[in-house]
This record gives sequence, structure tokens and C-alpha cells, in this order.
Amino acid sequence: MLTIQVNGVSHTVDAPEDKPLLWVLRENLKLTGSKYGCGQALCGACTVHIDGQPTRACVMPVGAVGNKAVRTVEDIRNEHIGSLVQDAWRELNVPQCGYCQSGQIMAATALLKSNSAPSDQDIDRAMSGNICRCGTYPRIRKAIHKIASEQL
Amino acid sequence: MTHSGFSRRDFIRVSVMAGGGLLVACGGGSSSSRPATPPSNNSGGPPTTPAEEFTLGEFMRIGTDNRITVLVGATEIGQGALTAIPMIVAEELDADWSLVSAEQSPVAANFNNPYFQNLLQFTVASSAIRGYFDAQRSVGAAIRQMLINAAAKQWGVNASSLRTEASYVIDDIGGRSASYGELSSAAANESVPSNPPLKDPASYRIIGTSPQRTDASAKTDGSFKYGMDVDIPGMLTALIARPPRFNGQALSVDDNAALAVPGVRSVQTIPGGVAVVADDFWAAQQGRKALQVSWNELLAGRTDSASQRNDYNLRLNLPGLPIRSDGSTLLAQLQASETLSADYYFPFMAHAAMEPLNVVVDYDGSSAEIWTGTQSATLDKIFAGVVLGLLPDQINFHMMPAGGGFGRRGNPLADFVRDACFVAKALQQPVKVIWTREDDMKGGYYRPAASVRVSASLNSGDEITAWTHRVVTQDVTASLYVENALDALHDMELPPLAELTDFETGMPYKIDNVLMDAHLTILPTMPSLWMRSVNKFSDVFAQETFIDELALRVRQNPYAFRRQLLSEKPRHRAVLDAVSQAANWGQSASGVSQGIAVMGHWNSFIAQVVEVSVSANRELTVHRVVSAVDCGTAINPNLVIAQVESAVIFALSSVLFGEILLEDGVVQQSNFDDYPVLRMHQTPIIETVIVNSGNSVGGVGEIGVPCVGPALANAIFAATGERIRELPLSRLNFIIA
Ligand code: FES
Ligand code: FES
Repeated sequence: MLTIQVNGVSHTVDAPEDKPLLWVLRENLKLTGSKYGCGQALCGACTVHIDGQPTRACVMPVGAVGNKAVRTVEDIRNEHIGSLVQDAWRELNVPQCGYCQSGQIMAATALLKSNSAPSDQDIDRAMSGNICRCGTYPRIRKAIHKIASEQL
Repeated sequence: MTHSGFSRRDFIRVSVMAGGGLLVACGGGSSSSRPATPPSNNSGGPPTTPAEEFTLGEFMRIGTDNRITVLVGATEIGQGALTAIPMIVAEELDADWSLVSAEQSPVAANFNNPYFQNLLQFTVASSAIRGYFDAQRSVGAAIRQMLINAAAKQWGVNASSLRTEASYVIDDIGGRSASYGELSSAAANESVPSNPPLKDPASYRIIGTSPQRTDASAKTDGSFKYGMDVDIPGMLTALIARPPRFNGQALSVDDNAALAVPGVRSVQTIPGGVAVVADDFWAAQQGRKALQVSWNELLAGRTDSASQRNDYNLRLNLPGLPIRSDGSTLLAQLQASETLSADYYFPFMAHAAMEPLNVVVDYDGSSAEIWTGTQSATLDKIFAGVVLGLLPDQINFHMMPAGGGFGRRGNPLADFVRDACFVAKALQQPVKVIWTREDDMKGGYYRPAASVRVSASLNSGDEITAWTHRVVTQDVTASLYVENALDALHDMELPPLAELTDFETGMPYKIDNVLMDAHLTILPTMPSLWMRSVNKFSDVFAQETFIDELALRVRQNPYAFRRQLLSEKPRHRAVLDAVSQAANWGQSASGVSQGIAVMGHWNSFIAQVVEVSVSANRELTVHRVVSAVDCGTAINPNLVIAQVESAVIFALSSVLFGEILLEDGVVQQSNFDDYPVLRMHQTPIIETVIVNSGNSVGGVGEIGVPCVGPALANAIFAATGERIRELPLSRLNFIIA
């Protein structure tokens, strides 16, 4: 039995220490917003925040999370910047199939929290770990700039 | 393109919902309205008796709270089916769009795509809007008329004195109005009009606007449910160990170590491999690693990319099956002053949709419930019935929206559904079969490799007098004939080959003598499938780079040269002109080179300009891609533009990096490290203009793909003088930042 803090709630889960956090979230806690895309830290679909840092949950053993605070897309609206990101995403029709977007939103929120006026290069650096096979990159870039210029 | 004579009379059933409201159901039979029937549990199958037809699934609900829910028969795979199709209905219904939502329909005959003769729910070939447009308009118009008739009766006025607006019926003379919700129960008792008037496109209020996607909210807060997210009580998770070579069979299985992994429940050998069944994904993955299988590979595929390419190139020298023949190319070639030719090669490519394949099956021995993100639900359900030994009405098939498809989820052979059904049949317990990214990448059904040879003959006046185009590739649709894969569909008559084949025959230029031929290659141990834009990807690449070579040969500007050869193709010409204007053709910044390409297909037309620079050490940067698209009538222009952006990025991934290599039958790629796709930092500026021709609706899911490659190759030629005759560019020592 392990105890982890997810979205402000303490959960005790029955899982081996080496089970990746992604599958604990999806299977044990039924938080399916974080997605499996590659399992190898190559695509970013599983991105969550651990103590505010964007982290690939698919390669993070749950036993290594400890007391740190995990936040997933299901709760990101409770952060001011997270809710701005979600709103801009909707307004610009960013999602297509949507499967990568939880990860994109978590990555973009982390970027805007640490940098209220990201340049294109900053966006490239922060977002290039997140693959979108539907090709929503131009709208993601636009949405990030829009939030930075209008709301931060 | 095919349209059935789907009459409204056959299509619509209307009844009062339990608790009030209007239920519009699909089914044949008479046009009288009838009391509430609860929507059936999604069982499909072709109707056999009139009574059975009544039970087929509902199409739309209007609640007394004014909410309208439209059920959509095409799969949402990112293209916006859950938005654009309801927009079509809402337009003719004169609905308040803010009250409209959408759901995926059940798998049932009445949701079949008219594009496929109403035989299949099949979300391929850019056919969703083209197929469903007319029928959806008629449904919306018929319901609107019934709401008006109900109001006229209530108010004792003539129906023709009433009008509708934003989900209200309005009586201007009497100064009163009633909402659709208030009228819905009464409207259900009105007879279905046989010929409701359709709107003049000039008075559209919803079509042609760009409201937000209906799924935008759920796709930004993690609540949108994909097949991968389905969770049912008692569900186990299975991963399948597949043979290293296609069509291999498990010979012997040592499952001791696998079964020793905590959480692993059982190991099941199925025709496609060996399934490790466990409590969760992690245990299944550990179990599969520990599993020992030796494979019988006597009949397994031994495709080797290098020798296969040699074989294809040799066959380019032999004539194939003619697929287009105008005039006499032979005569024209004999009289020509010069004949030029070029050979092209394109490798296998993986679709790599973001959501790896997965299927949930709950089979208890006498019935089954199945959930999967699929583009081919009707055929999947048929195959599931065959594997499980069930009749269609014993299977409740949930067509889930998918995290991308690109053709991979539209397999007429239903490979992933069959595998999962075999596992479920052995287990008789709910199970989710998950493909890891590696399984998905190595699992076959790729865009087939292709060799193409193009030639053109010029007369002494530098006019093109003959054009030939020869292809060697696996043609997916044609393969179905040879393999009789559709035997299970005894009711289905396949249209003639010429109508079904995916080979490109639409070469648009004014050339009197044209011969296009193809070698139909059947490789049963090398599973291939259509991938976004199918053979247009390779055929248009060859055509549009070669036409550039000819422009150079006759010392003409590539844009002007095309334009003059398109004198009889006004829609090609219009997009070509539009893109040259939007991209400032011929005026690029210093150090930046441009390339151009044009095509038409799927009832749509596109021209694209790509701008690149190539440094001395061959670092290739794509700066900008400009597209001009004419899709006839854009239902939701913002989503049309999104599809073009998507297609441009999809095409760049293929052109720059896309390559599945096989060595002695074994696929060499496995994940996004060795099969890279385009990322944010590699994405150019993408600009798209819509050329509104007002013609009938065209498809937009694929049209943005094929011209990107040749326009890019033409730009590279402009920058370096080097002709690109094979893909991907990463193989040609270009460095892609
Ligand atoms: S699933 Fe974690 S990075 Fe791809
Ligand atoms: S929206 Fe489909 S993968 Fe990004």
C-alpha cells in the first residue's frame, strides 16, 4: 500500500512501487484524463505536474512520488493559469482528436506559470516534447501567445 | 461519388419521448407517427421485416428543455464530425446552435454512410460530409416542418403564415411564439412531410459559420472518453505477444515465468499471437516480457525493404493494368522530339495515431458488448460476430470516438477487433486488449511502399504531347477482390474495380495522350492499408515534381506553366491563382525558396506553396506552407482550416521522416524515437485561405496532404538544383532541425 497526493486529496493505493504513476492514475484512481501514448517519455501525452513540474507519468514509478503533490488535467482548472489555458484552447478550437491535449495543456500551463511572456523559442523548448499527430501545433502556439498577451 | 435515393419517408421515425419531447428515430416503414418506443440497444444489422425496422436506433432528440441532441454515424477522429454533421441538421431545423449537442450513434443500418451505398458506417475516404450532407439536411427540414405544423394547429392558423428562428416557431401576425421544446410532443404526432423545402444556401445561418467544436470542452478537461478510457466492472487487461514476422504462428509457449508475475491471470494462445491477461496494464506488460514463445515462421512474411524496392523497380519496366488511357501515347512518343522520364520510390509508413489501438470486449458466451475507437464499425461488428459465433443483435457495439485514425482504424479486415474477440472468447470475462506504442508501430497495415515512373513527351514546339504514369504498389481496395475478404458480407455487391481502386487517375493537365497503368501487387504477408490520402500521396508527388521539371525544361515559371495547362480546369486554376497571391509567389525573402503544387480529389481542390531554405551543410528549414482550398461549400470554415493545418503537419511528418523498414520480414521501427514525427519546433508557419466556389460539399480530411511533398521538393530544387525522387528526406542526408 502506498499513499500519494493527487489533486489535493490523499489516496492509498494497492500497487507495486515500480508501477508507473500514469497507470496508477488511470487504473487505480480512475483519472483517465492523462493518456498513454508511448510509455517511453517520448510523446508527452501522460504529462502531469509533480510539485508544479511537468513530468512524464508513464516513466515515473509511483513509489518515487512520495509526498509530492500530483496534479492532473482533471484539476488544472483550479489553477488560474490552467483555467486560462483551457479557455483559450476552447476558444481557438485547438483540440482535434484531443488525445494529446491533456498533456499539451499541462505542459502549456507549466510554461505560462514560469514565464508570463514566452517567446516562440520558449514555446518550442517547452512544448516540443509533446507530440500531436493531428497537427494542432500552430493553434497551441497561438493560444499560448494569446493568453500571455491578453491575460498575464 | 454515390448518392442513394434515400427518401425521408424511409429515413425518419418520429415519436414522443418518455417524459415528453420529440424523438426522431430512423427506420423504414410508413410515415405515420407512433407512440414512444424506447431506443433499442444499438443492435444493428440490415432490417428484414418492417416491424424490425421500427426498433432501429434514434437519430435526434429534442427535449422539452429545448436541448437538441444529434446522433452522428461517422466516427469523430479529430476531423470534427461531432460538430459539422449536427451543424447541417441544425441549419435546416433552424435550431438555436447553442442548444445542440452531439453523440456517436449506435452501429445500425440507418446510420450507414450514404457515400457507401448506405451499406456501411465507414469513416474513410473524406466521405463523412459528402456522404451525410443531403440526408441530414432532409431530416432537419422535415422536423422543422412538423414543428411548424404543430404550432399552426395549436394556434388555429395557416402553417404558411409561420416562420422559425433559433429553435422557435414564430407567428408574426398573432404576435406569439413557441419554443421547439414546448412544441416537440405535439410535433411528434404530425405526419412526416414527404418533401420539406430545403433552404436556399444564401439564407444559411449556421452552415458557413465557425462555432466552437461541440467536443472542445470535454477535450480540454480530461473528461472526453476514448476506447482506451472504457472501464467496466471485473475488466482485465491483455497485451498480445505477436510474432516478429507477419503471419507467424505460436509453436510452443512457455508461460511459467509470465504466470509467476503478480497480477497475471492467464496466458491465451490466439490465431494472431499469445495474450497475457492480467489485472492491470503494468502486470500484463511485465508478464509479456517474461513470456517465452517460439514461433512457426514457415508461412511468415519475409519482406525486405531493400529487395522489395529492387523488385518494384524492375516491374516498372513492364506494362501494368491500364487505369486511364486517352489518345495514343505510343504514337505521340514516336513523333516526339524528346521524351523525359523519372522514377520515384516511397517507403512503407505507419499511421501512428496518438491513441494506440485498443478494444474492450465483454463476452459471456451468449452475447457481447464491444467498445473501440474505429472508422469501420459495421465491418468490425460483422467480424466480431463471426469470431464469437454471435448474431448481430447479440452484439452491442459501441463505436467510440478515436484518438486519431488516419485510416488505420478503418481496416476492412477488422484485425484489432478480431484479435480482441479471440481473447474474450477464451476468457469469457470482460477484457481490454491494449496495443502498446511498439505493438501499434510494428503491427503492420502500413501505407504501402510504392514505385512510380512518370514520362512526358515534347514536340518540337515544346508542347507536352504525351504523359505516362506507372505505379507498382499494393492497392488496398483492389486487394479485397483478390482475397475475397468481404465474403462475410454476402449482401454486398462490390462496385466495379475501376470505381473502387485508389490509384490516382486525375492528372488534370491538358495533354492529349495519357496512359496510366498499375501493377496490382498482392502481398498477403505484408499487411498494408490506406493512410490519409492513400495513393494520392505518392502519385501526386511524382506528377507534381515532374511537371516542375518540364516547366524548367521549357523555361517557364512553374506556376505559369501549370496555369496554362489547366485552361480547362477552372477550379484547379482558381486555387492555383489564390495560393500564388496568398503566398506572394515569386517574391520570397532572400535565402528562401518556393515550390508549388496543385491537385483535385474528394470533390475538393487545393494548391499549396512551400517555402524552405537549405544551408550549405544541408540543414533544411521549412518556413511556411500556404494553402488555398476549394471544398465547394465549407460547413465550418474554421474546421476546414484546422483540417488543412493538420494535413500539412501530417504530410511533413511523412515527407521528412516517415519510413518503416523491414529486414527479412522484421519491422525495424518501434516508437517515436526511431519513427519520428513532426514536433512543435519543426512546424512552419501555416496559412490557409478558403476559395469559396459555392459548389457541392467536398471532403477536406485528406486534401491537404498530397501537395505538400511535391511543393516542398520543388522548393528544394529551387534552393539547391537537386531533384527529390524518393522519400523520406531524412534518408537523403538532409538535416532537419
Ligand atoms: S506516454 Fe508518457 S511520454 Fe508518451
Ligand atoms: S489533437 Fe489529436 S493528437 Fe493532438
